[in-house]
Amino acid sequence: VTGVLHPLGIFVAGLGGGFLIPLAYRLGRSAATGVFLLALAAMTVISGVALCRLLMGAAPIEILTGGAAPPIAINLRMGLPEAGFAFSVNLVALIGAGYFAREKYGVMLLYLLLVMGVQGMVMTRDLFNLFVFLEIVSIATYGLLSLGENAAALSATFKYLMATILASTFFLIGTALLYAASGLLNIDDLIAARASLSGPIGFAGLMFLLAALLLELKPFPANGWGLDAYETARPDVAALISGVVSAGVFFALMKLLPLFESQLDLIASLSAITFLASNLLGLAQTKARRLLGYSSIGQMALLTLAACLLQKIGVETSTLRLVVGGLFLNHLFAKVGLFWLSRHVSGERLEDWSALAGPRGGIVLFAILLGAIAGFPPFPGFWAKWRLVLSLASDQRYLVIGVVLIGSLLEAAYLFRWFGQIVHSPAPENHAPPGPSSFAPALAMALLLAASGCLAASLAGLSSVRAFAPLAAGLVLYPLDRLDARFQQWTAFALTLAGGFWLIHDLTGIGGLYAAVLFAGVAILSIACAYRTDRRPGFYPLLTVMLLSLVALPGASTRLEFFFVWELITLSSYFLILRRGAAQGPALRYLLFSVVAAYFLLAGFALVDAAPGADALVTLHSAGPERAAVAVLLAIGLLIKAGAVGVHVWLPGAYAESDDDISALLSAVVSKAPMFGLLIMTYLAVRSNIGLDMANVVCWIGMLTTLAGALLAAQQDDIKRMLAYSSMSQIGYIIAAISLVSHLGWVTALYLVANHMLVKGVLFLAAAAIILRTGRRRLSELGGLARAMPFTFAAAAVAIIAMSGLPPLAGFGGKWLLLNAMLERGWYGSAIATLFATFVGFTYMARFIQTIFFGLRPSVSERTREAPIALLAPQYLCVAGILLMSFLPKLLIEPISRAINPQFASTLVWQGMSLETIYGYWNPTPVMALSLVVAAILFAALWLLRRLGWPEGKAALRVPFYEWESALFSRLTPPWASAFWGWTAGAAMTLSERARAIYSGDPQTYSLYVLCYVLAVYALGGGLGRFLSLG
Amino acid sequence: MISDIALVTGLILILIGIWGVQTHRNILRIVIAFSLIGTGTHMMIVAIGYVAGGTAPIIDRSLSKTAALSRAVDPIPSALVVTAIVIGLAVTAVMLAYAIRLHDAKRTLSIDALTESKG
Repeated sequence: VTGVLHPLGIFVAGLGGGFLIPLAYRLGRSAATGVFLLALAAMTVISGVALCRLLMGAAPIEILTGGAAPPIAINLRMGLPEAGFAFSVNLVALIGAGYFAREKYGVMLLYLLLVMGVQGMVMTRDLFNLFVFLEIVSIATYGLLSLGENAAALSATFKYLMATILASTFFLIGTALLYAASGLLNIDDLIAARASLSGPIGFAGLMFLLAALLLELKPFPANGWGLDAYETARPDVAALISGVVSAGVFFALMKLLPLFESQLDLIASLSAITFLASNLLGLAQTKARRLLGYSSIGQMALLTLAACLLQKIGVETSTLRLVVGGLFLNHLFAKVGLFWLSRHVSGERLEDWSALAGPRGGIVLFAILLGAIAGFPPFPGFWAKWRLVLSLASDQRYLVIGVVLIGSLLEAAYLFRWFGQIVHSPAPENHAPPGPSSFAPALAMALLLAASGCLAASLAGLSSVRAFAPLAAGLVLYPLDRLDARFQQWTAFALTLAGGFWLIHDLTGIGGLYAAVLFAGVAILSIACAYRTDRRPGFYPLLTVMLLSLVALPGASTRLEFFFVWELITLSSYFLILRRGAAQGPALRYLLFSVVAAYFLLAGFALVDAAPGADALVTLHSAGPERAAVAVLLAIGLLIKAGAVGVHVWLPGAYAESDDDISALLSAVVSKAPMFGLLIMTYLAVRSNIGLDMANVVCWIGMLTTLAGALLAAQQDDIKRMLAYSSMSQIGYIIAAISLVSHLGWVTALYLVANHMLVKGVLFLAAAAIILRTGRRRLSELGGLARAMPFTFAAAAVAIIAMSGLPPLAGFGGKWLLLNAMLERGWYGSAIATLFATFVGFTYMARFIQTIFFGLRPSVSERTREAPIALLAPQYLCVAGILLMSFLPKLLIEPISRAINPQFASTLVWQGMSLETIYGYWNPTPVMALSLVVAAILFAALWLLRRLGWPEGKAALRVPFYEWESALFSRLTPPWASAFWGWTAGAAMTLSERARAIYSGDPQTYSLYVLCYVLAVYALGGGLGRFLSLG
Repeated sequence: MISDIALVTGLILILIGIWGVQTHRNILRIVIAFSLIGTGTHMMIVAIGYVAGGTAPIIDRSLSKTAALSRAVDPIPSALVVTAIVIGLAVTAVMLAYAIRLHDAKRTLSIDALTESKG
């Protein structure tokens, strides 16, 4: 058996199959197909067995040819990396073989040769043999490219031919020059003798070799030919080039990297340029397969960049395996899957992909593959990027981290813009729905991604069941998606309750408390989802993932676990927001800001100079001298995600345009996730020497957010937008409270978290009820609902009072405590901002109650009824919570206090007073009276302004008060933030559009780029330095 | 001397080929230019292994192993070139095949007609 399964069998199967296919074809088409599939299966089995053996610790298998030892004879090697690459490539080739099994026998033959050739490139240890395998692969590719149907495909293939022939010519010249310089062709011998290659001939040989391999990976800007081929080739052939051929070339480069020790930085820089440029240029693409081409090239460049730098840094083998293996498998499975999916799309434009929508789950597959490429969990790219950034940070390569993250952001931007674009557009006309098994190969890729993701997770060191529980719950629910909506609701609800309870039951301390608060909110508010009984495909699995992730977040014990759960929340909430057609733009904005926030967190976590293995979150508390930078990065990320002023532009759209029950969850519960992050981060900042300065800055940001949110809320006519801005405003209070870094501040913060959760839950659900019953969402079209919907009115009124901070309800306490604490600190600026914001808050809250529930407006008809019980029940549970917190504050405050105490052991401002003493000693009346007086004065000023006819003259008296007020406030909130972000996005698009001009489509221009690229590699690789030192 | 001439000629052929690839507009001429590059490369490789005044690398009574190191032509480059020629032939054949298909599709052999995809 050993003999049959020897790796040499791969070549026996490849070549033998190649000879047999034409013969078998004489017997009949199916015989040829049988031989074809059998040969591929044999290769897969052989490489798979080799992989298993090597994983179990067997020594690498050396294959000697011709009965002689190297260097007399060519040798090949099957080590662990080789086996990994060969097996994954074979697996993909075998699954994709179905697309070729009905072709002419020549096509099958070429396919087989290509797959074998790639494995030859992977396994061979002889430079000239590498050239031969490269040519086998190239010629097979040229042949398969001829399957492209139209003239454009022919043109593209000819360009591809010209460029790759030039590249392989340089490979051959390089090989010959190296032989001339050293008399060696064996790669291991060459590596051993690399010192003797420093002469001009040896050096030129090395540079030509390097340039040729880089060119085969399609580097920017010498890659127009590759893009053209990706765009026009038959999708399954493009998949082959993108995944399989690139794998061979990349492995060849990896193998030769020791020869290029002094060029590692150059290779990394060139790859970084390619990665950035291809993702930037992808932004302006409108053709789907060309876009996939850009993404392919970018991913291969990232892989090369990672491999070079990790080699240079000298990381452990396990890291190398995780990063290179993870990125490679991620790219291979996802990109091949996407190209295969594109077979089911008839048009070439991005929007034509709406053909994937439908009951067959094509859109889900598409989402999985996109998510993998964008580096979201649980796919291998996520774990690989995590470890890559950590490794880069350990070597202080911050610029590279920046490049990797910016490139990834651009990639996420165009991929998810594409997804949002197709998910709501109708399938193209006269589109034949795909057959039942047509998605099977792409589905296999998705499954492989998931499997390799699990593998990568364990390599990365995250094996906590807690972290994966939300995903598991989602997976359990997904098969139920076709069943009755009620049944799904109950299952999802039960699963959320059970899972949430399990997640929090053994948590203690501040994390446990926070998780419990979030769980309470989740449990209450998810009842509201029952008010809709229509079919919502994919809704309940996503909802459960999001809710359970939220509950799991505070329990995260390591940085990786925190980041993983964090990204799960981001991704699931994005898909939930995107469910409404109107949310296409807002959802993308939400996702992009979330991704930026996540990258700041990633960078911050990476900077924590923890000992290897010491990944625990508590190490943040004892981090080294870089903790100031860590704290700033984390704070930026968390504030972006919190929707702080300036980066709040994602917030109103996301909250207002998502489904009504989702809005409630987003604003009430999801918005609290970054608050928990801030609590952890602030503690870190306190320990670093920039503690108080930074706390002051964060406090200012919080207060400005409150103020801006309130001013913006007062201008809104849309009920959900108003609530969204109100949410932003209230989050500002919490940010400010956390930034006080005192026992009192933190008690206030947690108190406000609970309060805001309950209040916004009620208000958004009230809005949902009003929209449900009246079909309107503009304040100007609503009115007089108190009679028709008395219960909704009562709940909303309680919530508004609790939010405003007026006695006797729960906001009372929180807000005045905050104001008091600020005054004590001497932060008068923030205190004044708070006073002003409180006043503005009063006006919009009054407006909410007044315009919706009072007055005679056209919104009430005979048919307007009270809200359904599914919406009232959670509202009244929240109201009960509010009342409980208001009249029995100790119930919440005591556990909060207990949880916080250990955090503020001795170093902090807290003087050890017990809470009763604090509340007994502290009298809120003066502060409250002060702010009521200020509010009254401001109101009088406002009234006076209106009387005086400012700013628009006496005519202002004729417009209703609220309209006049919002016009006034809009002067105070110039739309700088949205203008700035709009300009940034526009600039990126313009840059992308301009830069595309380098791809003129002219074959000779492209071959000139190739030649110049070779010269550039030679010059930058050290040729220029040699020339100068000679001169 | 002879190997130097071969080396320089090979290099010149490569440069002529590159010049041809970049300047000619007719696809067939471009294919010929690619062939020139290939031939030049082959000449260079052969020249690398050549030993002036050397003999064929057949080790027998008249050529001992030690003498072979200095007197015999290095056989490896020749072996490489044989392989490279075969590969070059295949590549040229593929290019010509595409030239025919391009002519069928576009009724022209001008390289300027190949700019459908761009950007």
